Amino acid sequence: MATQTPQTQTGAAPSRRARAARAERQGASLSTIAWKQFRQHPLARGALLILGILYTAAAFADFLAPYPERYINTNNTFQPPTQVHFRDEDGRWSRPYIYPMKKSLDLQTFQTVWEVDTSQKYYLKFFVRREGIRDRYVPFPVSLIPLKLRQTWDIRPTATLHLFGVDDPTDRVKVHLWGTDDLGGDVFGKVLFGARISLTIGILASLVAIAIGMLMGGLAGFYGGWLDELILRLVEAIDAIPSLFLLLTLSAVFYPLGLPSSVVFPLIVVVLSLIGWGGVARTIRAQVLSLKERDFAVAAKAAGASNWRIIRAHLLPQTLSYVIVVMSLAIPGFILTEAVLSFFGLGIQPPATSWGLMLNTAQSFVGVSGLGDRWWIFIPGIFIFVSVLTWNLLGDGLRDAFDPRSRR
Amino acid sequence: MFVFIVRRVLNLIPTFLLATFLAWFVIEIAPGDFASQFAFDQVDPNKAQRIREVLGLNQPWPIRYLYWLRNLVTNFDLGTSMVSKGDVTTLIYPRMVNSFWLLLPATVLTFLIAIPIGVYSAVRKYSIGDRVLTVFSLIGLAVPNFFLALLVLAFAVYFYQSNGWFLIPTGGMTSSNHSQLSLWQQLLDRGWHLIAPLLVVTLSSLATTSRIMRGEMLEVMGQDYIRTAKAKGLSENVVTYKHAFRNAVVVIIATIGGLLPGLISGAGTVEFVMRWPGITPLFISSIFAQDVYVVMALLTVLTLFLMIGNLLSDLALALVDPRIRY
Repeated sequence: MATQTPQTQTGAAPSRRARAARAERQGASLSTIAWKQFRQHPLARGALLILGILYTAAAFADFLAPYPERYINTNNTFQPPTQVHFRDEDGRWSRPYIYPMKKSLDLQTFQTVWEVDTSQKYYLKFFVRREGIRDRYVPFPVSLIPLKLRQTWDIRPTATLHLFGVDDPTDRVKVHLWGTDDLGGDVFGKVLFGARISLTIGILASLVAIAIGMLMGGLAGFYGGWLDELILRLVEAIDAIPSLFLLLTLSAVFYPLGLPSSVVFPLIVVVLSLIGWGGVARTIRAQVLSLKERDFAVAAKAAGASNWRIIRAHLLPQTLSYVIVVMSLAIPGFILTEAVLSFFGLGIQPPATSWGLMLNTAQSFVGVSGLGDRWWIFIPGIFIFVSVLTWNLLGDGLRDAFDPRSRR
Repeated sequence: MFVFIVRRVLNLIPTFLLATFLAWFVIEIAPGDFASQFAFDQVDPNKAQRIREVLGLNQPWPIRYLYWLRNLVTNFDLGTSMVSKGDVTTLIYPRMVNSFWLLLPATVLTFLIAIPIGVYSAVRKYSIGDRVLTVFSLIGLAVPNFFLALLVLAFAVYFYQSNGWFLIPTGGMTSSNHSQLSLWQQLLDRGWHLIAPLLVVTLSSLATTSRIMRGEMLEVMGQDYIRTAKAKGLSENVVTYKHAFRNAVVVIIATIGGLLPGLISGAGTVEFVMRWPGITPLFISSIFAQDVYVVMALLTVLTLFLMIGNLLSDLALALVDPRIRY
């Protein structure tokens, strides 16, 4: 807690009112004020909740998805969503069950027709264990460790628990809540697995972009002279090239190598941040220019602090609230850009999945069938929309919380 | 003023050089080149090497950049496409015209719709109408325009499948029988094909522009001279449209240059999805083929456009705003 002082730890736990009173006397810290302001922003709070759900779902995708990430079944392409029934034939409540789907060829139009086979029902099982070698996975917090390290430390996928599955000993009947794609992959599962890439790439890219921007802007503003000129010119040159085209060119650098997705992912982060750092650098430079003339910076200099220390300990922290706001507003932009890149086939490569890449499939097949009988392959677009919208709302909330001028 | 313009134009030169050099560098660090695709030719194992020599790809890249720059500066020669063997300028010119015919109406339409929306939202701040428009613009900011284009395309196919005739075409710029139509019908055909991409590009750029207009209008309406105008008894309409609107719209017009890159990029993805034969589809296929000169030419021309656009909007701003001294 930001307002906690040494005295509160020595005494008994102070009541909430006493703590509030003390905070009042001391003057609340920036984070306390910001949090208070943020809580008055209902849209931003709702956005935070939805984002929390999305990120949690992405983290536990292995558990939530009924089938593994790379599951394909070329006999089951474009299968419509499986309907889950909660009432039996007599209209009484029952355990959730599904009917298997059968496909046949319409001999007049030569189109595949899917039919529900109601001869036998299959119940859904919850918290099933599937022991198959492909069904095993590494559970969430451990899965953050890069694969290379996991191999050297000999951490093997052992978890077998899945949220749900079909009660079918032969394992022939599959449940596809949101249908299947052009390779028979489960769209529901792929949306969850794709969320991992689509949602984290924005955060990572904006972190890297802001790090570069703060470094360059700090250097330019503090030292001035030829360094300032050089950095400003560089930012100007990057700005002069239309961003979409620069982005496509940059990602084309890595495309011909046919790299595995574990390498492509960090490369996309780098490409996105290389485009995005200019604006941050400019603003940080302007702030540092004015901050370094303030009394506290001059005092630090007089006290003999090194240049690096003045930049790091006195100037950059002053720009923190700006950085938080810029970051939360940059993330949705990066999510969108990654989607565009993958959609063009220059981002994440199969068999890895991202929302943009899934829409690439939709693009290839939209001319064949339209929205009519394959609408479920457009579902990833809704997720891009929701995550960008909620990040925008969260960013607006944070800006209002940190910026005294936009307070209500 | 003259000195200011000259200085601004001279300032563009180093930026332009640095930007093209940067672009060339990025293309060059890509592994392989146009000739790489022939490296495993069974009949003629030396084919790739020979092609490299013929195209001059065996020379170091900074030298090739200098050659390219010299040709560009001395006789506006952007090089020869390695894929189509034709002159790059004649290759990209029709594409740019096509993109222009999408971008120009989209820009005009965006401003025609966004400015009234922005003014309305600002004048009726926090009213129900303003709130509805705010929600719409939040949605508009979050919908990826390629997704919107996909949905429109899907709707076009769906409509055809259920009704047997096309309400809007499913992509492209002309019908397959375009060359047989009369001039009047050709124009109509093009207009019909323009509807869907125009709609998507305009919708996706509407949100940003109307928000900027709203913010600008609100800022102007908070100024002292507006209060003065109200205090001396001018009617609400006169204050809003004669005083506030004129000052706010000038700034918007002057920022068109700054909005151009977003418009070009946004239209780019729509061109790709709707198979509009503009710049972006050519750019993407050239990237995949590593056709360096086409990629470079498009980057160069677009960069030039952006820089000129920014220059013009700076000049416009300097012209209308007496506070800007040069």
